[in-house]
Amino acid sequence: MTPIDRIAATNRWRDHSITEKALLGLGLLGLALTTPPWPTAVAVLAVATLAVTRGAGVPVRVWVKILAAPLGFVLTGAATLLIELGPHGIGFAADGLPRAAGLTLRATAAVSGLLTLTLTTPATDLVAGLRRWKVPAEIVEIALLTHRFLLLAGDTASAMHTAQTARLGHVDWRRRIRSTGLLAANLLPRTLDRARRLETGLAARGWNGASLAVLTPKRPVSPRRLAAIVATLAALAALGLADADGLLPMLGMLPA
Amino acid sequence: MSLLAAEALTYVYPGGVPALDAIDLEIARGRRLAVLGPNGAGKTTLLLHLNGTLRPTTGRILLEGAAVDWSRAGLSAWRRRVGLVLQDADDQLFAPTVFEDVSFGPLNLGLGEAEAKARVEEALTALGIADLAGRATHMLSFGQKKRAAIAGAIAMRPEILLLDEPTAGLDARSARRLLATLEELEARGTTLVFTTHDVAMAHRFAHDAVLFADGRIVARGPASELLVDAEVMDRAGLDAVEG
Repeated sequence: MTPIDRIAATNRWRDHSITEKALLGLGLLGLALTTPPWPTAVAVLAVATLAVTRGAGVPVRVWVKILAAPLGFVLTGAATLLIELGPHGIGFAADGLPRAAGLTLRATAAVSGLLTLTLTTPATDLVAGLRRWKVPAEIVEIALLTHRFLLLAGDTASAMHTAQTARLGHVDWRRRIRSTGLLAANLLPRTLDRARRLETGLAARGWNGASLAVLTPKRPVSPRRLAAIVATLAALAALGLADADGLLPMLGMLPA
Repeated sequence: MSLLAAEALTYVYPGGVPALDAIDLEIARGRRLAVLGPNGAGKTTLLLHLNGTLRPTTGRILLEGAAVDWSRAGLSAWRRRVGLVLQDADDQLFAPTVFEDVSFGPLNLGLGEAEAKARVEEALTALGIADLAGRATHMLSFGQKKRAAIAGAIAMRPEILLLDEPTAGLDARSARRLLATLEELEARGTTLVFTTHDVAMAHRFAHDAVLFADGRIVARGPASELLVDAEVMDRAGLDAVEG
């Protein structure tokens, strides 16, 4: 189980309506992608940070750590904007620094929006939400089972890795490659075997190959929270539009 | 008349591995039956036959004297009456939360949402895990998973509950709590059949016992007498309970 799964299942917003959380998270993501990075991306990042840490109760240290995880990819991408190939060979791009900073800000804000949703909503709730959005039941059920099996396969792989390590299976790169190959090769038959046993368990409870229907808990939308989310997104959008219209030229150090 | 019975039940796994050899067994209503034997003796294979998961190579299963029907509708009717709890709860739990998972069986019975919800709440309360209803199934402890899996079976209110190693892996206190819960279920009319390696527990808890070895029943009788008989127990490769 990953830290994101654990937080998603235990945070204070766990039982809030998925509609509210999806609107906020995807709204922030959309704004980060479509509005100028300064100052909107910074505002998006601030809103996401407040929502996740003050709202959902995720410790700031954990939030920063998770947010920083994709930063390596973002910085690698941004670094390519710093240089350019000119008539005299490779050199620093004239507007490279502001463009790289803008990209970094925009990407980080976008990730923070997405994380606002994924850190407050278990993956299974997200998939179950698809049911309400009229995605075919077969696809939703396969996605649910896939998620369940990923967690079980992850646990199995972790236990196998521990057992291999205890028997010196990972002491050098040669043995590490061999052990990892053996682990991967053994994981598939074990997972298939587990799938067969799960089928037995389901059949014992009356499943005959049709729908895997369960009673999903109802989490009604809170009008008060919904209004707050819409107001926040509207304010951020207004900020972005104001900047796009050149109403904040004094902050235009970092162009869009 | 026995509630559930096996007659000359023989099963050979694909590939020719024999698992059960001419098993005759009768399960009486209200009598707790323990199935004991060493690893690979055929205990789990027997349970899988008693709820129609496996189909015998030869022999038959009788439910209240009538041979069971292997059609889809027949299997469905059979499994309404005979519940099964697997040894590894992870083989049974598939839904995101405990509440959702336990609701799976009642919905398969064709119950409406309100009735299914009432069944789930009743089963969770009976197992003492009502507070875990909203908990993600992959975040439960081993003992909690066992209880959730049993709740999933009893929410269907089966007449017979087959349990494969119900106390395996549980600490002593958790095992005692689970057995007390099973006793309460029995008081409400569920007949219990369970496999176990724990001879002392079977001696305390079961009314009757059958001893398995190499796919055959080597002895049967009241648990209080059978499980203290060193000679008989030795035939099944088990140690008798100290008298």
